[in-house]
Order: sequence, then C-alpha cells, then structure tokens
Amino acid sequence: MKFGIFFELSVPRPFTREVEQQVIVNALEQARLADELGFDVIWAVEHHFLEGYSHCSAPELFLTAVAMQTERIRLGHGAVVTVREINHPIRAAERGAFLDQLSRGRVEFGTARSSTWTELGGFQADPDATKKEWDEFVQVLPRMWTEERFSWDGNCFSMPERAVLPKPFQDPHPPLWVTVTSSGTERDAAERGLGALGVATASYAEQERRLQEYRRTIQNCDPVSDIVNDQVATLNFLYCHEDLERAASRGMQMLGYFGMLNANLLFTREAYPTRAYQSLANVAPPSRRDASDPSAGASIPEGVCIGDPKRIIDAAKNWESLGVDNVNFLLNAAEILNQEEVLASMRLFAREVMPAFPRPSRTEGSLPLHRQREAQGQCS
Amino acid sequence: MLVGTGDPATLLSPRAVAMDRLDTAPEVLEDVSVLQVLCEIDSSPECAMLPPSLHPTLPPLLNWQAWRVPESPWGAFDLAMTRIECRSGVRPRALLTQGYVDNREAARVLGERWGFGLEVAAVTFEHRYDETRCEVNRHGETILSIGLRDPEPLGMRDIQYVSALHAARLERGLRLIQCDTAYEPGRAERGTPLVDHFDAEQWGEPRLIPVYPVSASLSRGRVTLPKLRFVCRPDELAFTGTETI
Repeated sequence: MKFGIFFELSVPRPFTREVEQQVIVNALEQARLADELGFDVIWAVEHHFLEGYSHCSAPELFLTAVAMQTERIRLGHGAVVTVREINHPIRAAERGAFLDQLSRGRVEFGTARSSTWTELGGFQADPDATKKEWDEFVQVLPRMWTEERFSWDGNCFSMPERAVLPKPFQDPHPPLWVTVTSSGTERDAAERGLGALGVATASYAEQERRLQEYRRTIQNCDPVSDIVNDQVATLNFLYCHEDLERAASRGMQMLGYFGMLNANLLFTREAYPTRAYQSLANVAPPSRRDASDPSAGASIPEGVCIGDPKRIIDAAKNWESLGVDNVNFLLNAAEILNQEEVLASMRLFAREVMPAFPRPSRTEGSLPLHRQREAQGQCS
Repeated sequence: MLVGTGDPATLLSPRAVAMDRLDTAPEVLEDVSVLQVLCEIDSSPECAMLPPSLHPTLPPLLNWQAWRVPESPWGAFDLAMTRIECRSGVRPRALLTQGYVDNREAARVLGERWGFGLEVAAVTFEHRYDETRCEVNRHGETILSIGLRDPEPLGMRDIQYVSALHAARLERGLRLIQCDTAYEPGRAERGTPLVDHFDAEQWGEPRLIPVYPVSASLSRGRVTLPKLRFVCRPDELAFTGTETI
C-alpha cells in the first residue's frame, strides 16, 4: 500500500491575497513534510473557478515548487483537464515532460475531463465532447512523449509533424492515470492500460465492485503506450489524533466543510442534460443516510481515515484487502484545521500507521509492457 | 461557506402559501410535457435572494419549468414556474419564487396540498416539431417567453430534475416545503435554450437578471406529486433545521 497527499488548495472566505498566499505556503510545508515522512506521492488537481473548493488552477507551477523543495516524493500532475478549450494536448505534453525533467523523473500524469458546469461553462466547452477529447488526449500523449517527431489528424485536433519537446526524463514516459468519478470510468481506464485515480470517495462495496471490474478488464487491455499502469488509487480524508473523540470532532468538521464547498458547485448534469455525464460526482464525503434528507451526514462514514491510529490502520487495511494500491489523502479543507494540527496528524500517521504497511518498490505497478508481459503472460 | 442572507420574513412571506395540513396523498399526472430552461443569472445579489437555510450554487442558476398537463383531477392546466437553484444542506434544490397557472382550481389545490405559490394567468405551451415555447401573459403583458429550439433526443434519465422548495405558512410558522416531484419521462429531448422575455418583477424576485442561457430540455411522461416528507426552517441550516413530517 502506498500513501499520497491530494491537494485541492481549498481556501476560506474572504479570498484575500494574504489568505490565498497562506494556503499555498501551508501546502508547500505539508509537501516537504510528506517527503520527509515517507509518503509516496503528492497530487495537485487542476480546477478552475471553483470558489473555495479548489484554487489549484496551475498545478504544474505548484508541483514545480514542490519538486524544487523535495528529494524523492513523486509528483502527481493531475488530473490535467483534457478538454481542448482548457488545455491543448501539445501544451499538456510539454508541461508534463518539462516537470518530469525538472524533477528527474518523479511525475505521475493524471487525465480528467472535468465534472462541473462551473468549469466547462466558464470555458464554453461542449460537455458532449469531453469524453472523446479525453480519449484522443490519452492516445496522443504517449506518442508525443516518445516519438522524435509527431503528427496527428484526429477528430478533436490535428497538427503537422513537429518535435514535441522536451521528452520526459522517465523512459518511456510518466505513468498515465485517469480520474474515476463516474461509475464505468474504471473500465475506460482498464481498457487503455491506465491507472485508475479515484477522486470520489466511495464505500467499500462500491470500490470492490469497481476494482473487480478494473482488474478483469485490464487483463485484456489495449494499452495506449508501451507501459501499462495497473494501479488503483482511492481518495480519502486524513485526520489522525491520539484521542479518537478529538479526531472525530475535528476531522468531521473538515470533512463536512469540504462537502459543503463541493455542494456549492454546479455539476454538469444538473445544468446541461447530456448522456456524457451519467452521474453527479466529485470529491464529496459519502453519506450513509437517506439521500433526500437534507440534514443527512454527521457520523464518520465507513472507510474514512479519520480517527486514532488504530481506527485508521483498520480502515486502510480494509482498503488494502480490497486490492487498492494507493490511498491519497485530503489533509484539510479551507484551513478548518490549523497548520499545526495538519502537520501533527501527518507525523502521527507516519509514526503509528505507516509501519503497519509494507513499503512497495518504486516502480511496481508501472512496468514497461514487455516486462509485464514477461512477468504475467496475460496482456494480449 | 456561502449561505443565504435574505430575511425570511421579507423574502418568503409574500410568496408563502397557507397550508393547513401536510399529510397529502400523492397524485399521479399522466402524459405531462415538462419544458425546463436553465440560465445563469447575475451573481451579485444571489445570497440575498436565498434565506439563511439555503446555499447558492456557483454559478447561480435560474430554473424555469413549464408543465402542460392534459388531464388532472382539477382539469387540464398549463403551469410555469421561476425557481432559483440552490442547496439545502448538500442536496440540490430549486426555490420557487413565483408560478402561474391557467386553471384556478389547480392553483388552489397545488397550493394547499404541496405549497406551490401560484397565481392565475394566461399560460400558453406551444409544441411544434422544431420548437417548444412557453409564454405567460398577465394583465395584457407578456411576463415570460422561453423555449427550446432544434430538439435532439436524449435518454430518459439524462435530464436531471431537482426537488423543489415551496414557501408555506404552517401552524408552526413559516417553512420551506420540500416537494420531491417524481418525473418518469417516456421521451426526452434537449435543444437550444430560448430566453426572449422575463419580467422579474412579476416573478417574485426583481433582482433576477438572466445573463447566460445554458440549456433547454423537454420531456413527456408521468409526473407524480409526492407525499411530503420534510419541511425546513428557513432561518436555520438544513442540518439542524429539517423537520420530518
């Protein structure tokens, strides 16, 4: 099991320049500590216009700062929004490769198509087109990274032959992921040999169903490149404190507040009827109560890593037993927790929880395809 | 966290319907056409247009819904409503600011049993091959003209309808009635939204300024007016202010 940090950079109101600065400074300090403590990866999302929920609109810059301040932790660039109005595929490839060079090969590259009307509408993007654009992005990115010169005549974009530069540090390229919010996207990931980056918190039962579907499908994948990334990551919240009651109280404040920030957003399907977005999903805390009851959502939901070390070990062991490879944690929401609480939670987690999980080797899960085939003899 | 700042008494009381009882039975309406047009609105007054129990959406969204009901226990009727999309707790809702219906008995019953704040006016619902329009005329003036052009088919479950909140005066005081109307379309379409005229003054909230039409949809099928299950205090967040019926 690997553990990661997932940065949304959510910001409390009012959005003063000083508050935004402090959120970024605090996140960088958390990233440095994560590197020291042995966390495996730092993910930085790409979102636009999501007031309060996420001000992480330029994750490549944030991750560059992290790269310069850390030694070994991997850098999850993601997910990069694969919508033409938001990112051109050439620019996405260039930025990913450049960050990989700057960090000497520490990049994990996530892809996503955005789930909110807040974002898609802001860029006047067509929600019906985002899935096919994503599909084309993930086909061309590995080729831009590996072919000396590249040309493309596609449905969503075309380009004459050019050298997309620089090439990534990792050979052949950074592992590719796709965010999984809607049920069914895990199958899209598996079919293309991409890692499944869960960004919507899910119950054990739902995660188990998705995992089985993913593992079954990736056996016969048609990978977009020479490497298959067969890892499954899930998203969680982390607040670890010796006192379970204190942990529950403060952790649930964070989780509840993040849920409210999430609820403010206008999801695509709510604003724009479309077949392309079948569910309302984003990073939202799960609720066990009647979905129509507006007062629902008070106790710690199953599987959420809020509690004392024992409770968190139990939760993480459950995820591990389901076959989850990585758990990525949100550490805070709009600075509900103060920085000392966040850092103490991380330290306690590293001291008491991490030793309960064996450390995997760095390359596990993203081997070159020929080596995976040699090892498994499965992927056709 | 964004939350409504409007005073419930001044915001909701003028549009609140008197309800004597909440134990209403469901009512099934067959073959109902539902035109829904969604439009982004000027964000500056949004929090002031919601009571403290509700949260705005980002961006703020106006939800017009028009029904053509060919048959009901109260006769056929055409209905048009203006609603503000919002959140009660973390749940999507649409707060009714004002509705108009062309059937006096329907206005009375929908108000008494489900808290719809409706007045009588001339509501026309025109459906042609390439366009569906709803117009509302009151005292000789057009106060709403919306529509959908160039429809294309959708799946039956591709349109999302959110539960409505209706202001009502109950024995226990001013409350928001949560009306979980069930829509079971037999066909569904999406088209280009048309927003030709909207007189906000006539729709209970003069601060509503449409700025960016987002979508229009049309469905046809069964609509079930529900058994009521929850009411909300307008002055308290849903987590503590929700009352189970």
